[in-house]
Amino acid sequence: MKPLDTAAGSCTDEALSLRKLRLKFPGEDSLLFKDLSFSVKKGEKVLLLGPSGCGKSTLLQVASGIVPRSFELPMKSEAIDLPSSWGFVFQDPDTQFCMPYVDEELAFVLENLAVPQEEMPERIEAVLRRVGLQLTDVHTPILELSQGMKQRLALASVLLMEPDVLFLDEPSALLDPEGTEQIWSSIRDAAADKTVVIVEHKIEQITGWIDRVVLFTDHGEILADGPPDTVFREHRPELIRYGIWYPGVWEDYVRSEGFLQLMRDRPGTGDSRIVELESFTGWRGKRAVIHAEKADVAEGSWIAVLGENGSGKSSLLLSMIQLLKTTGTLTVDGRTVIQKKRRRTLPDGLSLVFQNPELQFVANSLFEELTVSMHTLNPEEAEKRAYGLLKRFSLPEDGKRHPYQLSVGQKRRLSVATALTGNTQVLLLDEPTFGQDARNTFVMLETLETLRRNGLTIVMVTHDLEIADHFATHQWHIADGRLMSCEKTGGAAHARLVHS
Amino acid sequence: MPAWFTPERMTWLFRVNPALKFAVFLLLLFITLFNRNLPLAAWLAVLSAILLYGFSGYSAKKLALLSIPIALSFASSFITMALFGKGDTVLWQWGIFKISEESIRHGLLLGTKSLSFGFTGFAFLLTVEPVLFFYAMMQQFRLPSKYAYSFIASIRLLPVIAEEIQVRSNALKVRGITFSRGVRGVGERIRSYTVPLFAQSIRRAQRIAIAMEAKQYQMGAARTYFYSTSYSRHDAIFLAVMAVSVAAVFWLSFGVPY
Repeated sequence: MKPLDTAAGSCTDEALSLRKLRLKFPGEDSLLFKDLSFSVKKGEKVLLLGPSGCGKSTLLQVASGIVPRSFELPMKSEAIDLPSSWGFVFQDPDTQFCMPYVDEELAFVLENLAVPQEEMPERIEAVLRRVGLQLTDVHTPILELSQGMKQRLALASVLLMEPDVLFLDEPSALLDPEGTEQIWSSIRDAAADKTVVIVEHKIEQITGWIDRVVLFTDHGEILADGPPDTVFREHRPELIRYGIWYPGVWEDYVRSEGFLQLMRDRPGTGDSRIVELESFTGWRGKRAVIHAEKADVAEGSWIAVLGENGSGKSSLLLSMIQLLKTTGTLTVDGRTVIQKKRRRTLPDGLSLVFQNPELQFVANSLFEELTVSMHTLNPEEAEKRAYGLLKRFSLPEDGKRHPYQLSVGQKRRLSVATALTGNTQVLLLDEPTFGQDARNTFVMLETLETLRRNGLTIVMVTHDLEIADHFATHQWHIADGRLMSCEKTGGAAHARLVHS
Repeated sequence: MPAWFTPERMTWLFRVNPALKFAVFLLLLFITLFNRNLPLAAWLAVLSAILLYGFSGYSAKKLALLSIPIALSFASSFITMALFGKGDTVLWQWGIFKISEESIRHGLLLGTKSLSFGFTGFAFLLTVEPVLFFYAMMQQFRLPSKYAYSFIASIRLLPVIAEEIQVRSNALKVRGITFSRGVRGVGERIRSYTVPLFAQSIRRAQRIAIAMEAKQYQMGAARTYFYSTSYSRHDAIFLAVMAVSVAAVFWLSFGVPY
């Protein structure tokens, strides 16, 4: 991209600066930014924090010139001085690439820079080494990479441009703990000498690395700007309110009044077994993807299903609810589930929530969305229940809004609420808090705990050990497509190895 | 590309410049499209069948599987045309069905044309690497890069969309959504799939476009190519073979009396 004309006399040690920026989203009444001034020094590592919707990501896009160059928004400013060479890593690992293979994707950048073809393979190898992405063959399909590896590839493709400034828009938000560790260690190594501007909620890995934190309010104003220690110390209430995963957020949370009250006299599990599995296997085609020799779920328990990516956690849920072909014995509340090859209806008493909420919505309003699956109840009862659910899940209570118009956290909660039909006894959840900020995560977990107290049984896939330790009553470990162990949370004495 | 689409052996058709191959096959399709002569249509079908079955390099089993839709389209176009086509020399009539000599001729013409389309289409698709095809289109035929990369990006997204359809279908089952029988059910089904899938796709497309521009892609800017494609000896052979075969097809159709 062409360097922008820099204003005469502008400070040369600044990598970028904006003065009195005003910006607004079309169709919204209020300005997102009103006279915001912001600048970053060369070589500085800056972290932008704030509640969702406060405009941090938009600010990154303005500071890189993506807005308005690729994406137009009504904006004006007194002075704007943007970096001439920059790179941008986005949040979603699946929407950053246009080519099918790793080498082709990196070559795409080199082609844009008009690098001669002979030099390409060498530079591709070099940049992959630089971000620590070791592949036996560079001609590997991007689809086969893990999410963490994809983000490393995104970083690699950006580094090929040798940018002065690196913009990172929640690069680890959609990664599991392992991927998060990978991408941040790559960034720390590869961007040590660059100016880096980061938007991120999950900041544990970088608190020691950044020089400066800028904290925004709900209204897109700068609340605090200073060294990380000072900001974290002086603005803890805001960090909690904005749902930021600051270091120590779990310690603070488990000491909070809300959590202590929730866990006071926490009822244990019932005596009856609501789900029993025996020699249970789930199949994808001719491949067994998950096997459980023997396991059971006590009524009212909260099971955290743990394991690495691709170990078969999601397959376990899909098998239990009979969306995969299964063999062996599965009983739900004493009823043996008949395993048919093709079925139109799923077993009674079980309900599953997938990760992507939008793919699960079927109606045009919140209210309809909740009543659709309550056809077993009479209309008045269904209506009462639906309003109850809106309240319980902290959703807009008039229920008229379209599901797509909700915030990310609300969409997740709605998708869980829709799974609670009249006869749901066991709720199966596939990472219901994944990619959410701390506030939405805690609201979700508290809601689930309340449901559990009212008799619901929860089986939840998660990567988050804190959730497993603080909320789950039992932990199931899955490795290589086998259920290895089922143990009670916190009680190694109760540990019972099921795998023979 | 899914593993299924790997040939048993690489034939000479693979080594032809993909853009040139596309142009020649397109020409064949145009001849087929505008031709109204039955023998020519039949011989063209034979030629494209030889290309597909003889030189695509795929196993007989896979080719047989791919022949099913082609055979079906032959049968359906032949039968409809034969039963309902106009004609004076009636051979058989029953209610609205009327088979005449002319209608059979038309049916055969249409049927063999659809055979040619099927054979040629598969012969091209099975012997071309999509990414290389678009690189050749950019380099040999000056296709603007924005079209080439948007096609490549959309090919990359096909498996993602397939997975999303699977999730949607599972989610609808979990939500207990059932569809009416018959045509109404088809309508309901289309509606309940398209809205969420379009919403996801539009968002994804926009994000990818922004990411591409952030990687300094500029429309119309000078660029180099990771895969350089060019013409080679194989292209000369390919052109010669195709010229001779097409000439032979015309001679067989018009030069030989029936």
